Amino acid sequence: MELARAKHLSNGVERHTQAAVCSREPGGFCEHCPLFLMRLLESLGMFRFAIKNLLSRPLRTLLALCGLTVAIAGMVGLFSVAEGIETSVAATFGKVPGLAVIQAGAPIPLFSRMPAAWGAEIARLPGVHIVHPEVWARANLVEGKPCFNPPRMLFGSELEKSHQLRYSVYREGIKEGRMLTDADMGTRHALISRSIADQFKKKVGDTLRVDSLELEIVGIYQCNSLILDTAIILDIDLVRQLARVSDASVSCFYVEPALNVDRDELGNRIRELFRGRTDETRQSPLLIAGLLPERSDKTAANPVGALFSAIGAASRSKDESGSDELPVEVRDSNDWSREFKKFSADLDIFLLLMTGIGVSIAFVGIVNTMLMSVTERFIEFGILKANGWSSGAVLRLIGFESALLGLVGGLVGGVLGYIATLVINANWPTRIHLYAGPRLLLGSVIFSTVLGVLGGLYPAIRAARMMPMDAIRRG
Amino acid sequence: MQIEVDNISKTYRRGPAEVRALRGLSCRIEAGVLTFIVGPSGSGKSSLLYLLGALDQPTSGEIICQGRRLSQMTSRERDVFRRDQVGFVFQNFNLLANLTAVENVLVPFFPQGVAAAQRARALELLRRVGLGDRLDHRPSQLSGGEQQRVAIARALLKRPKLVLADEPTGELDSESGAEIYRYLRGLRDEQGATVVIVTHDRTHIQPSDNVLTLRDGKLAAS
Repeated sequence: MELARAKHLSNGVERHTQAAVCSREPGGFCEHCPLFLMRLLESLGMFRFAIKNLLSRPLRTLLALCGLTVAIAGMVGLFSVAEGIETSVAATFGKVPGLAVIQAGAPIPLFSRMPAAWGAEIARLPGVHIVHPEVWARANLVEGKPCFNPPRMLFGSELEKSHQLRYSVYREGIKEGRMLTDADMGTRHALISRSIADQFKKKVGDTLRVDSLELEIVGIYQCNSLILDTAIILDIDLVRQLARVSDASVSCFYVEPALNVDRDELGNRIRELFRGRTDETRQSPLLIAGLLPERSDKTAANPVGALFSAIGAASRSKDESGSDELPVEVRDSNDWSREFKKFSADLDIFLLLMTGIGVSIAFVGIVNTMLMSVTERFIEFGILKANGWSSGAVLRLIGFESALLGLVGGLVGGVLGYIATLVINANWPTRIHLYAGPRLLLGSVIFSTVLGVLGGLYPAIRAARMMPMDAIRRG
Repeated sequence: MQIEVDNISKTYRRGPAEVRALRGLSCRIEAGVLTFIVGPSGSGKSSLLYLLGALDQPTSGEIICQGRRLSQMTSRERDVFRRDQVGFVFQNFNLLANLTAVENVLVPFFPQGVAAAQRARALELLRRVGLGDRLDHRPSQLSGGEQQRVAIARALLKRPKLVLADEPTGELDSESGAEIYRYLRGLRDEQGATVVIVTHDRTHIQPSDNVLTLRDGKLAAS
């Protein structure tokens, strides 16, 4: 040990990796000691010093934290929109165990039309328990008020089939009154969601005016899904009548597999059934969405209607050339989630741009704060270096300080962002669903910490490179 | 620690002007001797002191400390040299305002982690310089003399072979100044350290001390 001590004192750069404990000081460690304990002690000492430095300049620290906190809270808020959509979609379609057969290319059943006769063909396939035809249309006026956001959908259900379903998300969600039954066929009885009931202050037994129809509310459901809870459930023929959909058409089929039947396998059977098939009744999406009336003798006489009919016909003849094409798509819950992700991809880019602006401002803010803080502390760094602090140690100290700022800014920003999502969700439950999950919150804290470290890096390098007297003179 | 200074020059910029602080100065500082650097303002006293402690780099020339050329040391080696072998005492104390007296003494060891033995020695040193009841006081709560004693305790903690003091009593009254010189002489006597002091005040110089007189960046007398 004496030899090691002598070596160390005579030449401060001697490495003594063989020694279990550094002999420079009794119980001390030198910078070359490989011991984990030493590194831990180093880090704790520096960490405490960094905290002390930050606390001794409360206003500067607070301002730097504010800049970061606002940026991170904004980032959490913005990305919670995309996460909210994702979780809402997953929660919604996770509740639907069967398969949806819809028109190829239609993003959602509202934009889909297909021959009603195909339902019987699907029902004959092995492994099918029940095929439930559905007609979806948009309600334009409810109680005389336009419904744009949140949208209100008319969901026409074939009632004699619906009660044969083993699982119906709406049936399970009944909160008041009852589900529609066979007895409601041909009536104007409706099942509405709790959010619609609350919006229009309706209860079971009241009437609800949708477009030109007076509906009688027989039940209220609640699925706790922004997507599902938009529907007003009616007899399928009533929706056909409201949306001017012919008896030969439906929007989609909901197919419930028989017990112990693989959903993917059944999906493939349905696809094979319709491969190369042409949908003679295929219609323009404009027409399906209700922007144009369905073809009739009257519309044929209308020159604009005739023009769109001609475009539709041309489009159909073009598609028919590819005989391997599928006129239908079979989607399970995972497919729906993917479809919505595609839908929200553009939103993600927008959110990324918005967050980028916020984060850039925060980054410039933290660089500025750290640069000012380091510049006004040149004397301090000079003193530290005069007392034997290495450039690396100065670098670590400033790094710790800026990382701490980033970490605390990230934590506070994350918590504020999370609270904001809860407040927004509570205030507009039927309009928006924001979700800041653990992944987003943890990512924000890590991002903020990295941002803090990067922000402090340039000033730290600048301070660490100076000769001690240069630093003291400049200070 | 024996130091040889060989023909060093130091030029630095102050705004647009170029200041030639040292102009081909050579001298020798013997180990274990109290050396005073004296001379008028602007003669290069402090510049020489900082170069001896590797706080600054000469524009030309060489400084050899105990056989090692400072110019050949890497930045890391210079850091270790300052940390392990050199203790500094500045005119304006240069304590860190947000640390207590004991923390200021221990600050050179923060990067490595402070061992219990180092803390105990820091407390002992502060008691020796009469600050046993001021351990947790910050610099703003201490008088000038007390602050300089903290700075001396900081320089002594590492048991340096070379102590460099730049006008250590410049901001103190005569009683406090005398006390500081007693500590510095005690350090030379007890530990055999080489002590180099820059001063205007010749009243504390004794016949046995080595005196380097500088004028216009050159050695005027030795």
